[in-house]
Amino acid sequence: MQWINKWGKSFGIYLLFVLIFPFIMPDEYYRSVGIIIGLHAIVTIGLCLVMGLAGQISLGQAAFWGIGAYTSAVLTTKYGLPPLVGLIASAILPGLFAFILGRAIAGLQGYYLAMATLAFGYIVQIGITEWEPVTGGANGLISIPSVPVFGDSELSMYYLIWGVVTCVLLFSLNLLHSRVGRAFRAIHKSEIAATSMGIDVRKFKLNAFVISGMFAGISGGLYAHYMGILDPQPFGLHESIKFLTMVVIGGMTSIWGALVGTVLINSISEGLIMLSEVIPGLQGDFDTIVFGAILVLIIMFMPEGIVPRIRAAYEKSAAKKAKANQAQQSEQVVERKAAT
Amino acid sequence: MTELLQYVANGLVSGGIYAIVAVGFITIYSVSKVINLAQGEFLMLGGMMTVALIGMNIPYGAAALLAVIAVTLIGVLMQKYVIAYVKKANPISLIILTIGISTLIRGVASFIWGKDAFALPPITSNEPISVAGVNIAQQSIWILLAVLIILLLLWFLMDKTILGKKINACSINPMAARLMGISPAKMSMLAFAISGATGAIAGIVIAPLSVTSYDIGVLLGIKGFSAAILGGLGNPLGAAVAAFLLGIVESLGAGYISSGMKDAIAFLVLIAVLLIKPSGIFGERSVGKGGL
Repeated sequence: MQWINKWGKSFGIYLLFVLIFPFIMPDEYYRSVGIIIGLHAIVTIGLCLVMGLAGQISLGQAAFWGIGAYTSAVLTTKYGLPPLVGLIASAILPGLFAFILGRAIAGLQGYYLAMATLAFGYIVQIGITEWEPVTGGANGLISIPSVPVFGDSELSMYYLIWGVVTCVLLFSLNLLHSRVGRAFRAIHKSEIAATSMGIDVRKFKLNAFVISGMFAGISGGLYAHYMGILDPQPFGLHESIKFLTMVVIGGMTSIWGALVGTVLINSISEGLIMLSEVIPGLQGDFDTIVFGAILVLIIMFMPEGIVPRIRAAYEKSAAKKAKANQAQQSEQVVERKAAT
Repeated sequence: MTELLQYVANGLVSGGIYAIVAVGFITIYSVSKVINLAQGEFLMLGGMMTVALIGMNIPYGAAALLAVIAVTLIGVLMQKYVIAYVKKANPISLIILTIGISTLIRGVASFIWGKDAFALPPITSNEPISVAGVNIAQQSIWILLAVLIILLLLWFLMDKTILGKKINACSINPMAARLMGISPAKMSMLAFAISGATGAIAGIVIAPLSVTSYDIGVLLGIKGFSAAILGGLGNPLGAAVAAFLLGIVESLGAGYISSGMKDAIAFLVLIAVLLIKPSGIFGERSVGKGGL
């Protein structure tokens, strides 16, 4: 529980903000935006574990999201199971998929891994579209029951989802500051060195992959119950790249970075929608241009991402202050000595 | 039997396009160790620019030529101002970077030309030719001809000219190449120019057969990349053969199993090969291991 001391301040600010957000913006619309941000955040925190910690790339994260969403949706609409059972299944099945895929591609690195996850993403999206008797094909599923938590309002859904985000966040931060986290950082720096220190690199990578798949699945299940309708369209490469952008902009190596990136990208999305209402020329895929530009500029000028950059700047200024204080003190000592 | 031949013929045509994309990937990868995931966008830009230029009443040939020049230039600029800037980045960053470039190009294309699909008129007439009961569109023959000419020219350039030797030298040992007075930066730029030009030509010749729109680059690029990996990264001949195989397998799968599963079949083949023999069917040439 050491992280409580280290992360106490940021965690307190986070919790406060999450709790009061629905009341700063007491509009149903902003609450729904908050819900979507929360759902994305669960996925990106998982992706951050894979990319930042295990140093792997996944271009198929939206596929796990989709598997989760369809698992819960199909179980509740076709078989009449309660949403809670559906949600549990929507964590297990994507985790299983991630386990099998991760086992299979454990030996792959770099471009091969990118390609394999990308291909997996395509296969899942095509599979969902083609398996019409179960998934409803391109038409999708309708009337998925909502999760019955303290009422049926936007507000209760908001707190439910951010509750899950908080659990996911705590789990990941804890992981990061434990033995497992240190092992991951060692793998990220040098796999060979990590292996020679007795770290089972394959196992750790696989674990990160499975955890990220489960996170994405949970988020997908919640998404299905929140939206009430599903079609295969949002579970493709476009969404996977959007998740990637969120993680990269915030900083791959930082869990907080994933959260900040998610908020940032969603805010930009919303801002662009508002702008397009004012300026008629901006409709269509303008957000694609912005996200592409963000990815390119971030890798060119700030490859470590926003949060680590800010933290470095903060630590630098703190160190400077400490140094200045020290210098002042020693000066005073010298003066005192001179006086005596 | 006729049915089978028809599927194989169709597969050869799409395989040819994948071959051009795959060779484009390898040309860039062998020199600069970058997998340019924006490769598919070169094809899209080639097709869309030609359509746009013809719309401005420029004759077909001139429009195609201008489009090829423009895409070549885009490739060079991309290398000079973006890729060269992050030379020291790790593979994950490079993957993200080229994905970003591809997303950016796609977004700009949909912004300028909209989301509609366009078709170019075929080079010669629309009448299909019938050979032993197999119907072949005349444009398909043009596509295969263009593919073969491009592959032959590339082979000649790489194996028979001093310029090709210079490019090869940079891919084998950039440091030694530099000591011999070859500039790896210039060769890298040249590689981007070559794959830009070949990509644009491929994009133009397929536009009459399958319509072109802002988003065709994604799948073509990924299929080409699959072929490059299947054939063994850094092995142009292997990649070209693998591309034709991929095209045929895909076409057979679409014909005999389900047309909706066509793309899934290609990717399943890819994952299977990655699992069984990650270095590709024909072996990877020793130019770095998957970007590491």
